[in-house]
Amino acid sequence: MDLISILIIEDTPKESDALIKILEANNYKVVGIATNFKDALAIYYNTKVDLVIIDIFLNGNPDGITFAETISTIPTIAKPFVFLTSSTDRKIFERAKLTRPFCYLMKPFNQLEILYAIEMAVERFYEQTNVFLSEEENTVISKEYLFIKKGKALKKVLITSIIYIEVEEKYCNIITENEKFVILISLTKIIKLLDNAFFFRTHRNYIVNSEKIIEIIPSDNLILLEGNHRATLSDTYKDLIKKIRTLK
Amino acid sequence: MIKKIFFSFFILFHFSIIFSQEQPEKKINNIIQEKVKEYSTEINFKKASLFFIEKKWDSTLVYAMRQLNASTTQEITDYCHYYRGVSFQKKKILKEAQKEFSFISSNFHLYNRVLLSLGDISLELNEYKKAISYFKNVEKLPDFKKQYFKKIAVPINLGLCYLHLKEFNKAKLYLLKGIKILESNKDTLLTIRTYSNIATLFYEQYKDHLAIPYYKKAYQLSKTTKSYDVKMITAKNMAVVEENRKNYLLSLTYRKEYEKWKDSLNDQNKIWEVAELEKQFAIKQKQKEVSLLQAENKVKIAERNGLLYSAIVLLLLLSVGIYFYREKIKTNKIILAQKKALNTLNATKDKLFSIVSHDLRSSVNALKTSNTKLLENLKSKNLEELDTLLHQNSTIANGAYNMLDNLLHWALLQTKQSYFKINAMHLFFIVEQTAYNYKPLLLDKNISLQNNILKNNVVYADQESLKIVLRNLLDNAIKFSPPNTTIKIYSKNLNNTYYDLIIEDSGLGMDQNTCIELLKDSELLSKKKNDDIIGTGLGLQLSKSMIKKNNGKFSIESELGKGTKMIVSLPKSLLNGSN
Repeated sequence: MDLISILIIEDTPKESDALIKILEANNYKVVGIATNFKDALAIYYNTKVDLVIIDIFLNGNPDGITFAETISTIPTIAKPFVFLTSSTDRKIFERAKLTRPFCYLMKPFNQLEILYAIEMAVERFYEQTNVFLSEEENTVISKEYLFIKKGKALKKVLITSIIYIEVEEKYCNIITENEKFVILISLTKIIKLLDNAFFFRTHRNYIVNSEKIIEIIPSDNLILLEGNHRATLSDTYKDLIKKIRTLK
Repeated sequence: MIKKIFFSFFILFHFSIIFSQEQPEKKINNIIQEKVKEYSTEINFKKASLFFIEKKWDSTLVYAMRQLNASTTQEITDYCHYYRGVSFQKKKILKEAQKEFSFISSNFHLYNRVLLSLGDISLELNEYKKAISYFKNVEKLPDFKKQYFKKIAVPINLGLCYLHLKEFNKAKLYLLKGIKILESNKDTLLTIRTYSNIATLFYEQYKDHLAIPYYKKAYQLSKTTKSYDVKMITAKNMAVVEENRKNYLLSLTYRKEYEKWKDSLNDQNKIWEVAELEKQFAIKQKQKEVSLLQAENKVKIAERNGLLYSAIVLLLLLSVGIYFYREKIKTNKIILAQKKALNTLNATKDKLFSIVSHDLRSSVNALKTSNTKLLENLKSKNLEELDTLLHQNSTIANGAYNMLDNLLHWALLQTKQSYFKINAMHLFFIVEQTAYNYKPLLLDKNISLQNNILKNNVVYADQESLKIVLRNLLDNAIKFSPPNTTIKIYSKNLNNTYYDLIIEDSGLGMDQNTCIELLKDSELLSKKKNDDIIGTGLGLQLSKSMIKKNNGKFSIESELGKGTKMIVSLPKSLLNGSN
């Protein structure tokens, strides 16, 4: 599991310091602090960022909104963001509201509020609401990562690193190259959200990353995976063999 | 002289013929109507007959001609020729009339009339012999055929003819025969004329002694009539007679009488003319009056309409005036009410300002003194005292901050400048986040806070305003709770529309009146009973306004000495009409 990378755009060092303190205390990684629109864009394009915390007013101008508008226009590079503001001025909010999804946090804020705002931003951005606050689920799935709530903070897991997933009732055991952990998500949802070009169901309880398959032994109903992992291939899902590009 | 008399007589005589034919006309008309019924299919005959009866001679000529062109029976042909003959005679085209009458067969029912008419025409054309032969034929007819004309006409006309032919004996015979009948008939005018004719007859033969009595008889008789013509002529005749007898004085008298009657005749004509003129004048006068009345009427109508319109206009003006007056009164009332409300609000604001500034002043003052103490303790390195003082300072700063925050939000609410958007909220997490700020305070007073709200309780509210409400209620709860007690926050799901969020403390509590007072809309500032713990009331008022804006409800359950329950009901779903 990896830490979530956050870019902070804030022109007041005192406030950004306080923010960094809270974020780092909760296992978030701050990858950059920008004090103006130009710097912010530069850092955003050159660094892998998972989420941006934006102060609406940068040196007296609502450049924060401009930044959000800029990154939202291109869907492939868009990331979740949270607005910070000390005023509830309606005109500014009407403009900020147009950037979707719209998450904001009033200053002054406490630790709980910022963590909550980050979670909300992720949920809304990937359109999987009511995940982190419910007791049934704790994972939001994007194209690249699984965002998993661990304790008070979010963590991420690179999806391509997953070897296979074993489902046990409402839990899913995720087995990656380096680790093994349990997430809370329903099977139907995870199948729907994972890229079906790579992930196949091989059994009632198994979802396998086809990239990680070493060998399929249909006679033994067995799939050999990287890292000496094994998954079961049941008869129901045997047509999987046809779908996978194999060497002949 | 004699010839002159004769000439005048001749004209008189001719008129008498036409007179004499009037009475039998009714009988003839009856006969014609019967014939029309008999030949009801012949439309032209019918029309000709009708026009004949109505004496429209031109139309009679036309239709009779048409009938003749398509004629069927001898009888109808005879009738048509008769109609045309009579019509021509009336129009004085005597030759044509003679021709038409000559076409009629002798079997014709009205043949005697035809003969009589032929005689009349001949007489008028001065063909006396021809006339005599026609009249003789009429005379010879049996009596039953003479019924359609006056019997008197024949002998008189015969007499006249002979008179013209100077056959005096025959003339005398017929005229005397005529006069006998006339005397019995009492036809005065004709009698006078016949007398005159007889007189002329004798006068022509120079039998003056015979002539004069007839002239006298005529003259005497003329006095009983009203005809100026007859009177004039008889008088003139008498004058001529007397003149011839060289009796000039008498002649002059008659001449004068003649002149008198002549004048009378003229006068009568003049009178008639004058009467006509007068009549026309009267008509004109009447016409003028009528037009005057009409004009008057028009003027009256115009006047009436004018009055009506002006009345309507006035009424309209009046109603418009009344309407605007009432509107003005209404507006004035509204303005007055608004003024009152504004005055009250202004007074409240002023009061609020003074209280807030007083509070701030004391807070800052407390910090100032505390800072002096801090510096003193720092010098003496009394660390324990430093810790307490800092905690105190923090509390004071927190209080002041909360008050300022409320003040800001209150101002924003009044001016409606604040962003407001209702979204789904997880009640549990919002409470957690709000309560997080109070952790030091709770720790300080050793109050435990229990958040027992279920995580799946979702309400619809605006994030910031909900937080303000929770902050104020928590602030209050902590303020009024004695140390070492518990504040419970939990939710109740009592109905389909709302979740009830309850903040329960076991603090001072309030009596019923205070509760009601607090829930009142207008009551902005509670009285300061206790400087330490009772604030401006701004926080609670702000909370109430915010809850209302979020379509929620607010109530308080409290008991003195036992504690207070602040209950906020928030909608479970988006209500209609909420923004």
